[in-house]
Amino acid sequence: MQGKVIKNKYSEREAADFTRPLLLTPAEDMKGFLTEKISRASLFTVTCVSVLAVLLILIFVLKEGLVFLKSDEAKRFLTSTEWTPTHEANPVYGALSLIVGSVYVTVTSMLIAAPVGVLAAVYLSDIAPFKLRQVAKPVIELLAAIPSVAYGFFAVLVLAPLLQNKFGMVTGTNALNASLILAVMALPTIISITEDSLSAIRREIREASYALGSTRAETMIKIVIPAAHSGIIAAVILGTMRAIGETMVVWMASGNATQIPSPWWDITSSVRTMTATIAGEMGEAVKGSLHYQSLFAVGGVLLVSTFVMNLASEYFMSRVRKGGKG
Amino acid sequence: MRNRLRIILNHLFTVFSGASVAVLVLVLVVVLGPMLSKGVTAVFFRSTVEFERLQFEMNNRGDKQQIENSLAEYHEHTGRIYEIYDEFCLGLNVSRQVSQVRSIARDYTRQLRYVDTPDEEYDRLKDLSRDIRDQFSEALESQDSEFALKEIDKILNMPQRSEFKGTEFEKVFKMAKTYRDVAAAMDLDKRDVYSEDLAAIGDLLSKLFGPRPSADKPPLAMNQYGATRWDRVKKLSDELLWKTQWQQQGEGMPLKEVRLSRAQMYSETPMKSFFDILENDLEKIFRPRMKIYWQYLIDDSTPGYFFGGIGPEIIGTLVLTLLAMLFAIPPGIISAVYLVEYAGDTRTVRLIRICINTLAGVPSIVFGLFGMAFFVLFLLPMFKSNASACILTASLTLSVMILPIIIRASEEAIRSVPVSYKQAALALGAGELRTVLTVTLPAAMPGILTGIILSLSRAAGETAPILFTGAVALGPIAKSLFDPTRTLSYGSYNIAVSDRISMLVPHNQYGMVSALIILVLVLNLAAIIIRSRISKRLHAS
Repeated sequence: MQGKVIKNKYSEREAADFTRPLLLTPAEDMKGFLTEKISRASLFTVTCVSVLAVLLILIFVLKEGLVFLKSDEAKRFLTSTEWTPTHEANPVYGALSLIVGSVYVTVTSMLIAAPVGVLAAVYLSDIAPFKLRQVAKPVIELLAAIPSVAYGFFAVLVLAPLLQNKFGMVTGTNALNASLILAVMALPTIISITEDSLSAIRREIREASYALGSTRAETMIKIVIPAAHSGIIAAVILGTMRAIGETMVVWMASGNATQIPSPWWDITSSVRTMTATIAGEMGEAVKGSLHYQSLFAVGGVLLVSTFVMNLASEYFMSRVRKGGKG
Repeated sequence: MRNRLRIILNHLFTVFSGASVAVLVLVLVVVLGPMLSKGVTAVFFRSTVEFERLQFEMNNRGDKQQIENSLAEYHEHTGRIYEIYDEFCLGLNVSRQVSQVRSIARDYTRQLRYVDTPDEEYDRLKDLSRDIRDQFSEALESQDSEFALKEIDKILNMPQRSEFKGTEFEKVFKMAKTYRDVAAAMDLDKRDVYSEDLAAIGDLLSKLFGPRPSADKPPLAMNQYGATRWDRVKKLSDELLWKTQWQQQGEGMPLKEVRLSRAQMYSETPMKSFFDILENDLEKIFRPRMKIYWQYLIDDSTPGYFFGGIGPEIIGTLVLTLLAMLFAIPPGIISAVYLVEYAGDTRTVRLIRICINTLAGVPSIVFGLFGMAFFVLFLLPMFKSNASACILTASLTLSVMILPIIIRASEEAIRSVPVSYKQAALALGAGELRTVLTVTLPAAMPGILTGIILSLSRAAGETAPILFTGAVALGPIAKSLFDPTRTLSYGSYNIAVSDRISMLVPHNQYGMVSALIILVLVLNLAAIIIRSRISKRLHAS
């Protein structure tokens, strides 16, 4: 009678499961062991895809670039400001003005974005009421989400006519226009990383400062910001990387004139950046020609400089992490 | 005193930092506001009769009978306007009138011979008609209004006029009468100025009302139709009513824009009624109606984006992004699982991490270079000869770009799964792989999904990597994965900078970029909402 009830409730196979010995047989043990090993190995293999990608990028960009750097034209690559690769008789590949152009708009945009970004991060982490913070977070995320080509569109069709007509500039597409847009694009990066590093500074440090009678401004400027300086530096570096690698905005907004602004503070002159040069000329460059290779060399300069900045930001970020623990 | 200063500085600091945040919100509004508000007009606008014709002829939309009825009425109006214009133009066109008069006189003498007039009578009438012809031609060619008027009056009042009644030659008198109105109304020495202006008016007219129904169909689609939108009607009629001129202000001063009323310029001429119609009756002629042109999202555009929608661009963007996801999600999630669950802190793992971070920092244009050199020129020819940049290579390039985003987001999501879940699974005897597949990954899924959606929006908006790896600005709709495609991002670039035609249709310009922004923002909002749900759930438990 009893046995029948059990038989009705569980199937044969399930009933067998209850009576299975807890110890695995050597074969089963082996199977489990192998499964784990094989899965581990295959996961590792797939993970190496990212390493492979980085290696391939390095190989394929630098390979073409190095061919150019070995040629005779390479001597003037970093010294000449003349960039006339399509000139029939005497093409000159002087990337100096392109590099200066990139640095020019990037530095200008950082001069705008870094103070605003740090101040905004301070406000969000230490001053703003909770509700405002809830609103500001999505706003920053949306700013970061807007595609760069949309920013470029805005720069060309809205901002450029404004600069030209209302502020009387010769042309609306110039270094200032590009820098303003780049600053807006770098702000979200700067704010979120700065805010993280500010909130990593422990509460006791702030409280000690307040207890000594400092105002909030003094606490922030003299205590918290210096304590969080490595995070802020990392934030600015990452913002710089965003700005220097940006293509569509500078291509559309900077005016694309191969020149170094003279006098150097003339922010309303048109400039041309490395990214814009690649974007603008790669479509026409013949594969394997010196022009083609020179563009890869420009890309290599970009790649190497972002590598260096990336390492620097990692160094500062690791200091933030250590500081947070200690 | 010093304390007061400190307090003031403190407040200043608060105000400044608050202002920075306010600037952010302001920037968001300033950037998105004009683009979205103008972009919306690509779909919501007041359409005209011409729009219905366009939709019917190009896409076979709408009720044929109804459109034909409203078109008949429309052409009646436009026909009258063109008639006034043509008549006035003819009045100004001296050489054409002279040759017309000559041909009328020739026809007349032929007619005389045909009806078999007696020789004397024939000679007399022939000489008389020839005299009148010469007199009229002289009046036409004269720059002096007074002289012209006097001569024409002489012709019109001549006693022999009744003799020509019912003959071909009567047309000359009719012409003379029309020309008398013209000559009385304006200075004949300014005839050249007028005819130049009239050419401009004619140009604008065909843009406003479309070509004359009797004329041949122009080859370009943008010339086949008149103004299809009420805002364009307004703009063109404004250009017709007001002539813009650049006037010298003085030595070294910039030119100043001056608007002259054409209605006033022509107020004494037969063109007056023309401008009256333009000023008052346009609404009656075009009968604008509020229209929701949702087909904007599926229609193809005419070359130059003048008419039509952004269908191929949207499809291209979706295909590219989804393919990129397909390539990037599996390795992305697997890498994240490995890095969180399996990897220790060995040297290899550290190298892998550095590579992922590096990948995240590579400029997007360098991905474009890499994609072209590796996928397009190196990898693709191995599998398919004579293939060039196409959807496949573009999506592969994008997938390399978003790989680090997916890995990082998934890592974070997997790491935030409580350890107790994993411990419980392991305690029940599940292996590591089983734990990951059945416990950790499902629990981390919402977080991973957030990362996926964010990288989706990044891939949809990015332009630089696909510039040389498979995106085109204009071209046929892609038929296979080995064709290049149009995308919203590249289209937004192209429509903003390269085309003069697209400058005439700002609604289409802004419509394209708005579609891109809305697509990306909707994806981002979805990610934000999912994430806030997760954080609520985590806080609740």
